[in-house]
Amino acid sequence: MSAAILQGVPATTIDTDIWVELPPRQFVRLTAIIMHLGGIMLAPTVAALSDDTLVNFLPRVDGIGSFDKELKKARRIRWQGMIVPVVPLESLLKSKQAIRRPKDLAHIPLLKQTIRLQKKGRVLVKKPLDSKEKK
Amino acid sequence: MLASMNKKKFAAEFRRLKKFRNLSEDERVLFAMSLSATPDERWERHEGFLKSHGLFTRSERKAFGFR
Repeated sequence: MSAAILQGVPATTIDTDIWVELPPRQFVRLTAIIMHLGGIMLAPTVAALSDDTLVNFLPRVDGIGSFDKELKKARRIRWQGMIVPVVPLESLLKSKQAIRRPKDLAHIPLLKQTIRLQKKGRVLVKKPLDSKEKK
Repeated sequence: MLASMNKKKFAAEFRRLKKFRNLSEDERVLFAMSLSATPDERWERHEGFLKSHGLFTRSERKAFGFR
């Protein structure tokens, strides 16, 4: 839900999911990065950063397209001084509708409502930065 | 939380959301705050929420039964 929060969904989450295009056997590379940053690995795909932020590394996301396809559609958001590609709300909704765990089902109305409110009328959410970069 | 809020943007968003009749007043405020904020402000608000519930640090979360 971190991507959703950054795009204006009034929600919260305990951990941040990061989709990585790496075969599972190469996840050790992520471990090296986490250790370098002063974090610790709690499980092969779960890390606690030095500020206690929990991060989940996902090798795939169910219900939506491939990594490359979704990366093309991703919204580029300026966050904490960096440009971060995030999965658009419409794709997050599709994924949650496919996964259907109780927590996913609980998020669906909030995602739908935010998409609806952003689409109708003037939208205060800034345009994706990548559309500017292409010019 | 409100200190970091851009009041003009919030007011404009709140006015825009008034045309959505199915929203209650508190929902309108909640969405106006969220939609008018920058990603950094949204994240700050999210972290503030976790902190206010004692869920920000790992030790605090463990006490709630999280891993």
